[in-house]
Amino acid sequence: MLRRSLVRSIALAATLLMIAAGAQALDETRYPDWSGQWLRTGGIQWDPTRPLGRGQQAPLTPEYQVIFEASLADQAAGGAGNDARYACFPIGMPRLMSAIFPMEFVFSQKVTYILFENNMPRRIYTDGRSWPHDPEPTFAGYSIGKWIDADGDGRYDLLEVETRYMKGPRTFEGSGLPLHKDDQTVVQERIRLDRSDPEILHDEITTVDHALTRPWTVTKTFRRERNPSWLENDCSEDNHHVAIGKENYFISADGHLMPTKRDQTPPDLRYFRQSRK
Amino acid sequence: MRSSIGLIALAAVTIATAAGGQAFDEAKYPDWSGQWRRPADVGNQWDSSKPARRGQQAPLTPEYQAIYDANLKDQAEGGQGTDPTYTCIPDGMPRAMNVIFPMEIVIQPNITHIMIEYLSMLRRIYTDGRDWPENAEPSFMGYSVGRWIDEDGDGRYDALVVETRNLKGPRAFDASGIPLHADNETVVKERIYLDRADPNVLHDEVTTIDHALTRPWTVTKNYHRERSPIWLEAICAEGNQHVRIGAESYMLSADGHLMPAKKGQAPPDLRYFNQSRK
Repeated sequence: MLRRSLVRSIALAATLLMIAAGAQALDETRYPDWSGQWLRTGGIQWDPTRPLGRGQQAPLTPEYQVIFEASLADQAAGGAGNDARYACFPIGMPRLMSAIFPMEFVFSQKVTYILFENNMPRRIYTDGRSWPHDPEPTFAGYSIGKWIDADGDGRYDLLEVETRYMKGPRTFEGSGLPLHKDDQTVVQERIRLDRSDPEILHDEITTVDHALTRPWTVTKTFRRERNPSWLENDCSEDNHHVAIGKENYFISADGHLMPTKRDQTPPDLRYFRQSRK
Repeated sequence: MRSSIGLIALAAVTIATAAGGQAFDEAKYPDWSGQWRRPADVGNQWDSSKPARRGQQAPLTPEYQAIYDANLKDQAEGGQGTDPTYTCIPDGMPRAMNVIFPMEIVIQPNITHIMIEYLSMLRRIYTDGRDWPENAEPSFMGYSVGRWIDEDGDGRYDALVVETRNLKGPRAFDASGIPLHADNETVVKERIYLDRADPNVLHDEVTTIDHALTRPWTVTKNYHRERSPIWLEAICAEGNQHVRIGAESYMLSADGHLMPAKKGQAPPDLRYFNQSRK
């Protein structure tokens, strides 16, 4: 009798303590250790295993291959082509995961945040929610994730993410590799630590987009810095590109407007003429 | 009976260790979750309790008062004065805490992140007891060291005390161009805490020490909580109609042409176009 009541007391104490200690807490022992700063390995191209630009062998539709070729020709002439980053637009998804500058992961019970030095954070909702109805599109999109214990050891080791509701203009990389202007891109990711080296993180990214003939999968790899220094990389600080109408110009070192392409016409100054009348 | 109590206590300790040993014990920290917005009836001036511009009565040194007055004159003529953010550089500290767009605060044991829905304005407030770093790269948001305080002794933290240094410029307190000193030796001290009567109101008592000021300047910013937030992106570069060329700021017209920001403003020097057409 005494033993039965003792067992009940212990069970009650356990329940109360679990509620007190764990109910609102993020149990870090259930999540992988992705702390620190993650730095890209390889270049800034989309598929890190292939060269930038045409070397990517992107599975573009014929229509978007033509758009890409025109972008390459414009860039060769000094223009920006399809790449809107010169005007400091956010690079958006999936290009964000090229992580040109370092990134950090922050876990909470309901959200995994990916923080960047030069872009706003990604919020990956892991609380089991459904897709929102008619959300405002953003460059980074709306991300829903699911933690998975792939090896069954009681600890999550894989974060699966799907991202929708993006807006443009966006490209895969600085060469101007385009995404479809309908902005119906869907990005699926599988993020996990390397099985043999916990200082390496992989993000297997599959992009489904109407500019592509098939889903395009690449794997980005990042290495960890456990004692990071964080900097700010603000695109607008000392940006020498200036967009006026549809033209892209450059600011010279001595502060004057200059062409980016040979024989580029100067900006139309009609409003200055009117103001001086 | 004594052994029963001991057994229960042991079970309690064991379970607490298992559940919380390496876990972040959120029960020790205040609930600052959700989205924090500046009150709807508050503008973007630095001291929310006073009118904008000269009404702020900023305790500027005579030198910086003259800079501020020149800035107000320039703004009245259509210029940007000493407000550098029209080119989409970050507000920096302390101005970021105007929270023109909403913010989120994510508390972890060693660090508290403040994310502001504008540009990439991200604050990392280190609460792991570290010292100031040596020779750190200055930044607009600065380097922040914080300390959690249990003011009422109830076993739960209720205030975060923060000091921020190592800032870079140009920065201004608000859009009217109230200047901070060009030496960038600003020190910002904050005390962030929930309102005692309304847990959906957050206060940030911000004291700025700066060589442009005759004394430390303390203001209190207030934020209201939205518990079911929608997060957007406020992209400064998107639709920004301001263009800086050299030391001049111009505007872009709706039809995509460069136009003067001030009456009688000279057009940009196109010398490099003349050369390229030779």
